[in-house]
Amino acid sequence: MAIEKILKDDASEEKGERARMASFVGAIAITDLVKTTLGPKGMDKILQSTGRGHGVTVTNDGATILKSLHIDNPAAKVLIDISKVQDDEVGDGTTSVVVLAGELLREAEKLVAAKIHPMTIISGYRMAAECARNALSQRVVDNKENAEKFKSDLMKIARTTLSSKILSQDKEHFAQLAVDAVMRLKGSTNLEAIQIIKKPGGSLMDSFLDEGFILDKKIGLGQPKRIENAKILVANTAMDTDKVKIYGARVRVDSMSKVAEIEGAEKEKMREKVQKIIAHGINCFVNRQLIYNFPEELFADAGVLAIEHADFDGIERLALVTGGEIASTFDNPESVKIGHCKLIEEIMIGEDKSIHFSGVEMGQACTIVLRGASHHVLDEAERSLHDALCVLSQTVNDTRVLLGGGWPEMVMAKEVDELARKTPGKKSHAIEAFSRALVAIPTIIADNAGLDSADLVAQLRAAHHKEGCNAGIDVISGSVGDMAELGISESFKVKQAVLLSATEAAEMILRVDEIITCAPRQREDRM
Amino acid sequence: MAAVSAAQPRASKTESYVDNKRKEDIRQSNINAARSVADAVRTSLGPKGMDKMISTANGEVIITNDGATILNKMEVLQPAAKMLVELSKSQDAAAGDGTTTVVVIAGAILKQCLSLLSHGIHPTVISDSLHKASTKAVDVLTAMAVPLELSDRESLIKSASTSLNSKVVSQYSTLLAPLAVDSVLSVVDPEKPDMVDLRDIKIVKKLGGTVDDTQLVKGLVFDKKASHAAGGPTRMENAKIAVIQFQISPPKTDIEQSIVVSDYTQMDRILKEERNYILGMIKKIKATGCNVLLIQKSILRDAVTDLSLHYLAKAKIMVIKDVERDDIEFITKTLNCLPIANIEHFRAEKLGHADLVEEVSLGDAKIVKVTGIKDMGRTTTVLVRGSNQLVIDEAERSLHDALCVVRCLVSKRFLIAGGGAPEIELSRQLGAWSKVLHGMEGYCVRSFAEALEVIPYTLAENAGLNPIAIVTELRNRHAQGEINAGINVRKGQITNILEENVVQPLLVSTSAISLATECVRMILKIDDIVNVR
Repeated sequence: MAIEKILKDDASEEKGERARMASFVGAIAITDLVKTTLGPKGMDKILQSTGRGHGVTVTNDGATILKSLHIDNPAAKVLIDISKVQDDEVGDGTTSVVVLAGELLREAEKLVAAKIHPMTIISGYRMAAECARNALSQRVVDNKENAEKFKSDLMKIARTTLSSKILSQDKEHFAQLAVDAVMRLKGSTNLEAIQIIKKPGGSLMDSFLDEGFILDKKIGLGQPKRIENAKILVANTAMDTDKVKIYGARVRVDSMSKVAEIEGAEKEKMREKVQKIIAHGINCFVNRQLIYNFPEELFADAGVLAIEHADFDGIERLALVTGGEIASTFDNPESVKIGHCKLIEEIMIGEDKSIHFSGVEMGQACTIVLRGASHHVLDEAERSLHDALCVLSQTVNDTRVLLGGGWPEMVMAKEVDELARKTPGKKSHAIEAFSRALVAIPTIIADNAGLDSADLVAQLRAAHHKEGCNAGIDVISGSVGDMAELGISESFKVKQAVLLSATEAAEMILRVDEIITCAPRQREDRM
Repeated sequence: MAAVSAAQPRASKTESYVDNKRKEDIRQSNINAARSVADAVRTSLGPKGMDKMISTANGEVIITNDGATILNKMEVLQPAAKMLVELSKSQDAAAGDGTTTVVVIAGAILKQCLSLLSHGIHPTVISDSLHKASTKAVDVLTAMAVPLELSDRESLIKSASTSLNSKVVSQYSTLLAPLAVDSVLSVVDPEKPDMVDLRDIKIVKKLGGTVDDTQLVKGLVFDKKASHAAGGPTRMENAKIAVIQFQISPPKTDIEQSIVVSDYTQMDRILKEERNYILGMIKKIKATGCNVLLIQKSILRDAVTDLSLHYLAKAKIMVIKDVERDDIEFITKTLNCLPIANIEHFRAEKLGHADLVEEVSLGDAKIVKVTGIKDMGRTTTVLVRGSNQLVIDEAERSLHDALCVVRCLVSKRFLIAGGGAPEIELSRQLGAWSKVLHGMEGYCVRSFAEALEVIPYTLAENAGLNPIAIVTELRNRHAQGEINAGINVRKGQITNILEENVVQPLLVSTSAISLATECVRMILKIDDIVNVR
């Protein structure tokens, strides 16, 4: 008599070898998918939505591709998660982290086939990761003291990040934009203060950085179009009428004139509210909700600029940058913090009018206006710029900088290789495998650029045999070049995050020896 | 030096491109899809281009020659084909004209890319070379351009008519071109001379008559009739116009209310009160001297009732009701008045003044015209007429293109020859340039140059001329230094196109080249299509 069924009907269980196989296959499939986007000559993907509208996104950003995939493989999901975490933490290297984790697993698969216990592999990987990190931190360059040099470091990092994206043609322009924006932040990592506005039309080169804040709204009718020394009240309040919100509340009257009186009273309430708002001594009023015609006219009469129906994101940011607070009651003018800015005026961007707040309280704030041929270009440009901004703001905090172009991987691989030779036991196989996985990254970069990867990587390895070598892959000329001379730099923080989270993810997947798939929840038949 | 020469051949060898089957397939299918879109609109290029009839999903029929409109209605699904549709939209936004040209150029470049790829050149190399070529092309075009003064009305009209000549309404280009020029020039703000907001030009379509009857109105036109209930006035001289955003109807509160009537006599009293209430409002209006009311549409309650219309008619006030809220800004800007949101604020200084407001019958429909506005804002209205809805719609689209052309000239004051002349010249100069470039780049730039010949080729083909004979002769003439030689479609031969008055704004040509290249580069860089949620 067999054992009673333990799991539910549709649930399934995969054990031992099979489970491990499933994880490896899933993770490697994901890696192969995003692998081709790596590096300056990486390709783009079209993401075609199967949902309504069949929206199309063209992207090179690993996180964006992975985020939108349909995935049913648990191991693949782990990789997607690390890419997301990488995106949140440091913003860039989202493809690298997945590729490295995938390569580690690919190596692990071979070791497992050679009957090495997964736990041995894990401990070997751990030692190797530790060693690689030390190797990296010994080779960092830190220009914290020298502002001039540090700025050029930032420029280099921005250029390196952007060169693998759609902005690569105009990377000089955008690197400058991103560095300027991040320098304004003065060390804070609050990217909220950098606003990105996308306006179709023009070309990418027409994009610009503007100090202050731009709100994509129109100024009410008959109101001043330009205010100097503005005092701004940001509010989220209903400007139709203060309704009595009790269900079924109604008034009973016995004549038409009484109805008119009530209407008058309602109007009067509105007027009072407007008076209260104006009594704050403001000359600009921004509301999250609609401002109806009647209050709009009252504001116009008082010479107050009123902006209605600002989006939620917009007013929060506006409150932040002007140093005000979002108000919803207006009885105590003293307690409401009012925002300030030097000048409000209407400007034209492309074909549309927007409102520009300059000289705002929070000096860090700035706006980047992106122009480009189509929405696809703009969306992708925004993603690329966002990556660059993230990396730069992280670098401002952790000023350690590395060279790029496969240089860090080769440095790590060399150290890890040496460690393998010193380590006795089976672990050394795992450590060796780790070094092979590291070398896979420059190999992929070369492959994507259509270069002879085997030849180049061998040359690179030979070059790195010398102490203090700066060699990396120069994709443009297709040869081994000096990364310091070419000005290709990467942030230490990004590399470290890639290394550690990829190792951790690989470790996690290796530990798995059983996959239990729960029965899908039955949908109730209500349809 | 030796190192450079040693590196050169190796670099070109390693740039060779080996790829797996799937990526090749994806790229092929993308390029083919995009090309088939381009082929679909190719025949509508040029003055002798043909129109397309599109029958939309909801049974509507559209006949048009406008690339952007055709592509927009085609509902393509293939992602790469969709990008071409987007491309045409971008051109529409950037320049307003040349929406077909941009797609045709993109298609031709893609065709060349296909053969470059089959030679094993890496897509990113092609993409970079295309970028260089397009930058160079823009430089060449700029060098060819002729500067223009806004006071030179003749040249402006010429370029507007070039745009109109390729449309259904081409026989009316003598009428529509000056109209477009005048309307754009009248909204140019002297303080910001490079900016034209086309929203300041309102196009009102009215069925009936022919396109010949299209006119520019210095003032306002409402596509509605004045309120006729109770025999109100339909013509008013020395009008004092109020734009009101409140309602002339019995009061209604936001809070729910009910009037309790307990006996028969109260009914009379309520009716009387209602009458008095409205009468009171109208008296206040009358007191300011207002004699024309524009009433904004209201969703909360009736903007006017029969009763109030009756009183307004008695007070000799002309009423135009159901004005959309979106139009209020345009109206107040034109009339130079302020909207009035409450009866208490009804003051004489908020009124706008006009010499004449009258209802005009056009066939069986009626419109209201406001003319002779005092201190009129910088706005214009164009009244488009046509014998059927299809013609009117097409006339509107063509007029929009013409307006865009004039706007381009206002913001970038350079003209360039039409009739395929700039493209052939570009092709010649880039071809010469490609010979001095090294490696793959030169090869790609030459392909780009060849791709540009598609425009004169298609122009000739659509006009029923022998394309090969025409293109070769054009090349010949350009090689001899006649940079303005182009195809004269009417005469069917090659002439100096500047003398034939076929000119277009520089901005249209430059943006067509750079946008098309950008789009092609994007398509080239794609190696996979992933289905996502």
